[in-house]
Amino acid sequence: MNLSKLYKPIVSKIGEDIKMDGHANNRVMKKLFRPKQYFRPRTITEAATLLAKFGNLARPIAGGTDLLVSRPSDVKYIIDITRLPMDYIKKGEDGLRIGALTTFRNVETSEILKKEGYGILAEAACKMGSMPIRNVATVGGNICRALPSSELCPALAALDAKVKMVGFTGERTVPLEKLFVDVGKSVLKMGELLTEICLPTTPPHSGTAFLKIGRVAEDLSIVNAATRVTLDKEGGCKDVRIIVGGGIGPILIRAKRAEALFKAKKIGHSIIERAAQLASKDCCPRATSIRGSAFYKMQLSEVLVKRVLKHALQRAKENVQLERYINKN
Amino acid sequence: MHFRELRRMSNLKDILIRIDVNGKAVKLKVKPYQTLLTILRDELELTGAKLGCGTGECGACTVIMDGKAVHSCLILAAQADGRKITTIEGISEGPKLHPLQEAFVKHGAIQCGFCTPGMILTAKAFLDEHEGPPTEKEIKEAFSGNICRCTGYVKILEAVLAVAKSTKKEDEL
Repeated sequence: MNLSKLYKPIVSKIGEDIKMDGHANNRVMKKLFRPKQYFRPRTITEAATLLAKFGNLARPIAGGTDLLVSRPSDVKYIIDITRLPMDYIKKGEDGLRIGALTTFRNVETSEILKKEGYGILAEAACKMGSMPIRNVATVGGNICRALPSSELCPALAALDAKVKMVGFTGERTVPLEKLFVDVGKSVLKMGELLTEICLPTTPPHSGTAFLKIGRVAEDLSIVNAATRVTLDKEGGCKDVRIIVGGGIGPILIRAKRAEALFKAKKIGHSIIERAAQLASKDCCPRATSIRGSAFYKMQLSEVLVKRVLKHALQRAKENVQLERYINKN
Repeated sequence: MHFRELRRMSNLKDILIRIDVNGKAVKLKVKPYQTLLTILRDELELTGAKLGCGTGECGACTVIMDGKAVHSCLILAAQADGRKITTIEGISEGPKLHPLQEAFVKHGAIQCGFCTPGMILTAKAFLDEHEGPPTEKEIKEAFSGNICRCTGYVKILEAVLAVAKSTKKEDEL
């Protein structure tokens, strides 16, 4: 699939506000954000019913850090979902479950995540925005915003996450990688609510790493990279997942060609370098990029992928040593 | 007012909210689109919180909600129902300033003063939450959501470090 065909160019003139091809930037604001009714459902069924009833005119609000910035003028009904029972981080027999209303701050500070091998989520979450934003912003909201410059989504994809969605017609589970179709567009249907993220158990001898480069701390990612490396007992590579995010394409890039280089080999310097080059070639930033030129982003993605692979490999090796130590004793 | 505006207003369902602001219980009728910042400034006349960017990037609107620093420009007033809000007006005890306010004055961390309420409340929320003495790096990361155009941040950092040192030392004793 040629991703660059999906990716609309940014059309701008000096002195004018930046306009995306096809729709005007809302900050030019001729129409105000004036919803006329506010609901606060107490159950997920109530929320799904309201969303189905009002369709396009309703928006769910959780943290509000995206809705109250974009302030769309066509919204008439606000469905406040913050009091629904979806704020949790639970360990189950088949892995970890994170409720969609869990705030970034809770993910950042969660001890369970770090202990059970999901520390990359804390590493990624603390790089999003600023502390006051992370105190209210929810993981579900971030995923549904479907921006490739999300910090959390590459980290979740590196862990092979699946998301659960509940609608009027029932419940469905979708792998996170299959969720995004374009900038700001996901397969979430009208009237559906994202309720939970399901993470499989971390395979043994795994190491993860995440890196983000932004202009300032609270900025979106120019480029970010997330990876999980799983070693076998001899130290060869059993599995690797490399995801690149940021302004590098309409959706997250899963660097499959780079991953293929690692099959059952011992990971060395040259493989990592070649993999980083291949991953960078998979990226397709717009020529009209705002946060950095396309050339810069291609260079940056290669460097970041190389660094996260090295970090993750180091951590995987440490985990192998730690497990050998634990097994001996 | 324009006729269309009038008709639109009549369709609006006001929401009754109950919030605790600086220790006082307040009952208000708010519109669905009003933010917490709007009602703090316009209805309750607590003008310490400022409207800077309106998009959650400058931190001039920072208040403390249920113990956590939040950008009040990004919270609908209706969402604040049932919560405990602390604004800059609420951290001093009568004429006696909060240690952070004293430190900001003593260290020269205030120039125009526009960012100051947000800075002090972020500092308060951070120090209250943080266990043990924070490092400079941790303080800087906590302040990534507050922008200052005047001071260059150095004195603000010094003031926060000074308070952190004195309060965290007291905890140990």
